[in-house]
Amino acid sequence: MREVGIMIEAMVVLSLFALILLSIAVKRKDGSSKKALRSGFGMMKGVIPLLLFAFILSGMLQAAIPAELIKQWLGSEAGLRGIIIGTLAGTSIPGGPYISFPIISAVHDAGAGIGTVVAFVTGWAMMGLGKLPFELAIMGTRFTLVRMLLFAVFPVIAGWIAYVVL
Amino acid sequence: MKKITTGMAVAAGLLALLAYFRGGISLVLEGLQGGGLMLLKVTPLLLIAFLVAGLIQVMVSHEFIKKWLGKEAGIKGVFLGALAGAMVPGGPYVSYPIAASFFISGAEIGTVMAFIAAKNVWSFTRLPMEFALLGAHVTVTRFLVTLVFPIIVGILANLLLAGTEEKIRNQVKELAGGGHND
Repeated sequence: MREVGIMIEAMVVLSLFALILLSIAVKRKDGSSKKALRSGFGMMKGVIPLLLFAFILSGMLQAAIPAELIKQWLGSEAGLRGIIIGTLAGTSIPGGPYISFPIISAVHDAGAGIGTVVAFVTGWAMMGLGKLPFELAIMGTRFTLVRMLLFAVFPVIAGWIAYVVL
Repeated sequence: MKKITTGMAVAAGLLALLAYFRGGISLVLEGLQGGGLMLLKVTPLLLIAFLVAGLIQVMVSHEFIKKWLGKEAGIKGVFLGALAGAMVPGGPYVSYPIAASFFISGAEIGTVMAFIAAKNVWSFTRLPMEFALLGAHVTVTRFLVTLVFPIIVGILANLLLAGTEEKIRNQVKELAGGGHND
């Protein structure tokens, strides 16, 4: 039930942000709070159709890409090969931390090197496929493409530093 | 917008086909159900995320954005963007609306990229879970190794993307539709 715990935690933190901002808005007494509600609602209305597709796509990703296969694929990889494979494996994990961390943990226990594991976590965090539907829906194709090109080398660098230093 | 919708529909269709070949119609339905359940589960979070996004757009004045997150802010904007990203909880359906609201309000592209990179690798709310599941050694190593990434990403984005920044921003604005009323 870790997933539920995380959701509740996220809810509490986010609500706190909202409350702080909202109370400042209300104190202004210039209609800021109403404007903010309208603006947030308008933004949501704009992206809702895309967001619906994003959730379907996200569910399909999880159905089509077997997490077990990723685990087998990595086995006990280490070294430079492990870093590259780790990055690709991380990228192809289709879900949130409650999906990725257990897989990564299993790969780690199976004897994968620290470089592989670090590349795996970073690859999932920075390049993970699961975030793409939401990014495309809200930020558009241009931003998403540029962001992916910019981020792509970092998981490999992370794995390589961990491999060389440790 | 139409192109993105079409693209996502095609991708979902292809994945459904792949799921069908892997596990028949039941796996396809499982995927649909998974997406639907996820949407139901995160709806409250989604609502608050858009509320926060709206509040940011209205509350954060142009002067503030310009001074702290925009072009004139320079490296300061990159650091602040990263710090904000590290504090945002929840999944991409929370962080991207907030990133979009900063970007639409005039934050520089490096600030927004640093925000997303920090959400990815600093994420304060995710650390306890990483600690619990991957152990101290992996978590600390991973965190230290990626510590400077959001800053580097932000600086690189500002250097490399200055020319295309407005084109990218316009697409984000267009997608948000009526979200910006100024």
